[in-house]
Amino acid sequence: MTEPRLRAAIALLALAGAAIAAYLIYARYTHTQIACTTGGCETVQHSKYAKTAGIPVAVLGLVAYLSVFATTLSARVEAAAIGAAIVLGGLVFGIYLIVIQVAVIDAICQWCLASDAILAVLAVLSAERLRRIAGMPQGPSAQAPMTAGG
Amino acid sequence: MKRFLQGRNLLFVGVGSAALVIALVLILVNQSGSSSAESTQTEPVATTTVNGGSEPAERPKAPGAAAAQALFRGIPQQLNQLGNPKAKVTMIEFADPQCPYCRQYELETLPTIVKEYVRTGKVKLVYFGIPIIGQNSEAGLRAVYAAGLQNKLWNFSHLLYRSQGAENSGWINNDLLGRIGDSIPGFDTQKMLADRRSPEVDAALTASAQQATSVHVYRTPTFFARPTGGTLQQVPLTALSADAFRPTLDALVK
Repeated sequence: MTEPRLRAAIALLALAGAAIAAYLIYARYTHTQIACTTGGCETVQHSKYAKTAGIPVAVLGLVAYLSVFATTLSARVEAAAIGAAIVLGGLVFGIYLIVIQVAVIDAICQWCLASDAILAVLAVLSAERLRRIAGMPQGPSAQAPMTAGG
Repeated sequence: MKRFLQGRNLLFVGVGSAALVIALVLILVNQSGSSSAESTQTEPVATTTVNGGSEPAERPKAPGAAAAQALFRGIPQQLNQLGNPKAKVTMIEFADPQCPYCRQYELETLPTIVKEYVRTGKVKLVYFGIPIIGQNSEAGLRAVYAAGLQNKLWNFSHLLYRSQGAENSGWINNDLLGRIGDSIPGFDTQKMLADRRSPEVDAALTASAQQATSVHVYRTPTFFARPTGGTLQQVPLTALSADAFRPTLDALVK
């Protein structure tokens, strides 16, 4: 996959993630029942872990996804690096929240799982994008000869 | 090491470190926020504590917290319902948190009903709380229904029964309700305390009273069962043991 296509894929996935986050925010503030097949979405969304520093996790997710989307508008290495850092950080936080859902809250939110799946794919694509932009290993540091024991 | 931290590798290490910092900050803030949620509440919880009303930083757990968690673990809850929403049979309980026989059923019989009928997906349970015994009952029911807004009504009600005191002695107070809330993993105690006066809880109490009137329930506990969507029939009980429920439930789940 070429770098522009990688960026396009990342942009699409980031928008999909943003749509999930926006739906959860909408449901929260309009007191609409969340569509849920796992039966635990409301429990998770009303738990004390659904907020970080008083901010709903869905709002943090929306900001993160939109930030990742924004980084795809540039082909610069800095943009790829920022996007990858946000995605990888978000993925680790997402894994933490899965552990909380299973081990503490005793309820699973399907939308959270969908978001985590998107983050996992985004992590792979973002890492690949960063690797490509940064270029293949070149120069003496990457081809250091084995000198010991020679 | 110096050679490794050059060019592309330096970039990768930087991105990885930034991601780790982002994740750690989020996790730590989320953890600290969840553990200190009670200390930022607008409504005092421990107004009746003996330590001069000072904010309890860490309330002791309510008795039976682990047992309650194990009893309901993994079973879907939705407002006042427990169990598979598509279960073949629905059993309805009219209860009062101050009623001693309700407590007896809850602690001695409900675990068997849950194990044999609810956990297996055959029966779902529906709770209707009615304040038969007195004003303290309504205080308890408001907290129970507020817990239902977080889909933890059954955990909360179970723990309330485990701490049951003498009728109308004021045993259902903010301190106990706060301790029970804190004993339920992931539960937002602050929200439950605030939700007790919410329109949703008012509506739940009204609906429960209407349900009780419509089927002529004037004492607790009283049980009804029906094939889900079918005609309601009172569960004829001569005792509150699990064996007393089996004929009715077995006949309906057949």
